[in-house]
Amino acid sequence: MSDDKRIQSAMDKVWNFFTSLKLAITVLIILAVSSVFGTIIEQNQPIEKYRQFYSDATIRMLDALNLFDMYHSWWFLLLLVLFTVNLSCCTLDRLPRVVKVVRNPKTTLDDNLEKSLGLVNRWKKKGSPDAWADKYAGAMGKAIGKPLVTRSSETVHLYAEKGVVSRFGVYVTHTSIVIIFIGAILGNVLGFKGFVNILEGQSIRQVPTRGGAKPVDLDFAVRCNKFTLSFYTDQHGHQTQQPKEYASDLSVIENGREVLRKKIVVNDPLQYKGIWFYQSSYGQAGSATAQVTVRDAGGAPLTTLSLYAGQPVEIPGYGNVTGMDYQPDYQGLGPALLVELEKPGQPNARFWLPQARPDFDRQRKDRYSFSFGGLNQAFYTGLQVAKDPGVNIVWVGCTLMVIGILIAFFMSHQRLWVRLTPSADGRVEVVLAGSASKNRLAFEKKFEKIQSDLKALAV
Amino acid sequence: MLNVRLFDLTTLLFGAASVNYVAALYGKKDTLARVGTWICIVAAIVSTAAIGVRWAESYNMGIGRIPVTNLYESLVFFAWSVNLFYLFVEWKYKNRAFGAFVIPIAFLTMLFAFTNESSIQPLVPALQSYWLHAHVITCFVGYAAFAVSAGVAVMYLLKARQEEAKSKEGVIGLFPSTKILDDLVYKSIIWGFPFLTAGIITGAAWANYAWGTYWSWDPKETWSLIVWLVYAAFLHARITRGWHGKRAAILSIVGFLATIMCYLGVNLVLSGLHSYGGS
Repeated sequence: MSDDKRIQSAMDKVWNFFTSLKLAITVLIILAVSSVFGTIIEQNQPIEKYRQFYSDATIRMLDALNLFDMYHSWWFLLLLVLFTVNLSCCTLDRLPRVVKVVRNPKTTLDDNLEKSLGLVNRWKKKGSPDAWADKYAGAMGKAIGKPLVTRSSETVHLYAEKGVVSRFGVYVTHTSIVIIFIGAILGNVLGFKGFVNILEGQSIRQVPTRGGAKPVDLDFAVRCNKFTLSFYTDQHGHQTQQPKEYASDLSVIENGREVLRKKIVVNDPLQYKGIWFYQSSYGQAGSATAQVTVRDAGGAPLTTLSLYAGQPVEIPGYGNVTGMDYQPDYQGLGPALLVELEKPGQPNARFWLPQARPDFDRQRKDRYSFSFGGLNQAFYTGLQVAKDPGVNIVWVGCTLMVIGILIAFFMSHQRLWVRLTPSADGRVEVVLAGSASKNRLAFEKKFEKIQSDLKALAV
Repeated sequence: MLNVRLFDLTTLLFGAASVNYVAALYGKKDTLARVGTWICIVAAIVSTAAIGVRWAESYNMGIGRIPVTNLYESLVFFAWSVNLFYLFVEWKYKNRAFGAFVIPIAFLTMLFAFTNESSIQPLVPALQSYWLHAHVITCFVGYAAFAVSAGVAVMYLLKARQEEAKSKEGVIGLFPSTKILDDLVYKSIIWGFPFLTAGIITGAAWANYAWGTYWSWDPKETWSLIVWLVYAAFLHARITRGWHGKRAAILSIVGFLATIMCYLGVNLVLSGLHSYGGS
């Protein structure tokens, strides 16, 4: 028996610890203060980077405290668990009591209740309790809500309330945090985050995941048809160095068929079967080539060559041609290519081929002429890939959090009691009392008004 | 450009209003404070027009976007929010003493903006999103509310010290009662808190849409969480443990210092994704 009691009290102590507000405030402050460290010490950097700032001893110490990957460390996660347990226990501890109070409101104003309320007023009126009860009920209905009438012998009780839901705002908010954590855990366990580079014209079926886990196999392929990079132009119409858009033209291929095609840009991803592809980076694949078309004496195209800078390409029975230089704007003619022509037994000839003038080289009056079709640069696009089946749960939690906070702070549970008792002098003794769960200053004013309204009434 | 001239005018107006409010306290002349209010109203109109003009000018440049995308724009937007939130409080509480503690925050912010690059730059691809509007507006209404709360908290501490000394002398004697100040410290925070919450959530939603990760412990994200935690602690201490007065006022000031760190410190001291176009 005494053992039971001791166990009971030990359990109580644990329970009281986890439901205490002191713990809640302490955890909030510790979370806030410890989070600061992770913003001062750059997280997840290569060791060389840390060596620039810290001594080896400091690095060992910081590493032992997991301060280089603080937000995923065991102690930070433990804090988050403590935070969750605390707020769950608070909810489990207090919610049933609130439900009980809300479902069984004190509808009669007895002496004990009267003493506990800050706002109480009394006065006397001639007449009968019932007649006044009708009058006051109407006025209370306008101010707070239609009152509940309770009669016990000679006494009439009126009780009105509004904003009961405000009592639950805090629990909606607390529950929403737990829901967000559940969503986050589900996303971590069932989803993945990865990154993949795709060359223009190529496709991938596998995504390497972050953190070195094994790559994820997709049951479809993603092809990058084209990557384009565009820049802003200044007020004169010239291109600036400020990037305007990174765009990838992607196709989803399933069972050999293209099932979806979309041009994605930053802030506008592609989604297929719950897997999202986000424009993240890009790069140049290999060097640029110049497209040069070989034409006959009449100007008709014979073949097109891809020239790498400085590498001669042979035209059989004619000579070698080499791309030497490129200018985006050659003497006001726009983009142009400088080529060198090497024919057997002749000195090397160098001349420019403006892209806008395909017939320009015909002035050489040779067997063949050349025209420049532009530079060809292959890109690859870098895509973040994510699957997060928990994310919608997170958004539900976030929505509930805002709703909960608004209910908790901007609604108030207001209650009003009136007790009418016949007094010894033949008049009716009226007691008016009120309480509000929040914003008491405003309710005091409202109470003053209700009181003067009630007093002004006449039967 | 016209918008920058209008913002410069706003700076002067905030300066004039600050002088009026402070002079009104020291000279005990309500007329001066009344003039301060009118200057603030004019400043509200001029700065609103300036934001509109800047918005229109960006469209004329062919790069139309909401003017809240670099440090200059965010500072003037912050000052704009503080001024409007302040005018609301002054109207609601019918007391002009607050002005001397809140409007100088707007004035100093504008002075700081004045030292920054004010040209209209096009948006980098990462910022081209409708989430930008919801995210910035919610965050800044929250910041403005916290600024007002901290200003009033300073008033509270001064007034409380005087009340302890049982004196009613001087400037501080004109402050509203500690009860009203204490209430206003709290009220401003319960306005700011849901806006900050919505600001963090819209930021997370945007990050998820741009990168596929709603939370990555980036310094800005982390500091916004720190601010949120400090005010959450304030609210719990206040509502359930009855922390009123001095302790609540100090916590409100700590919260605002964390807010400043989140808003400016992270960009100026730490590195991360919110570079405000500075780099």
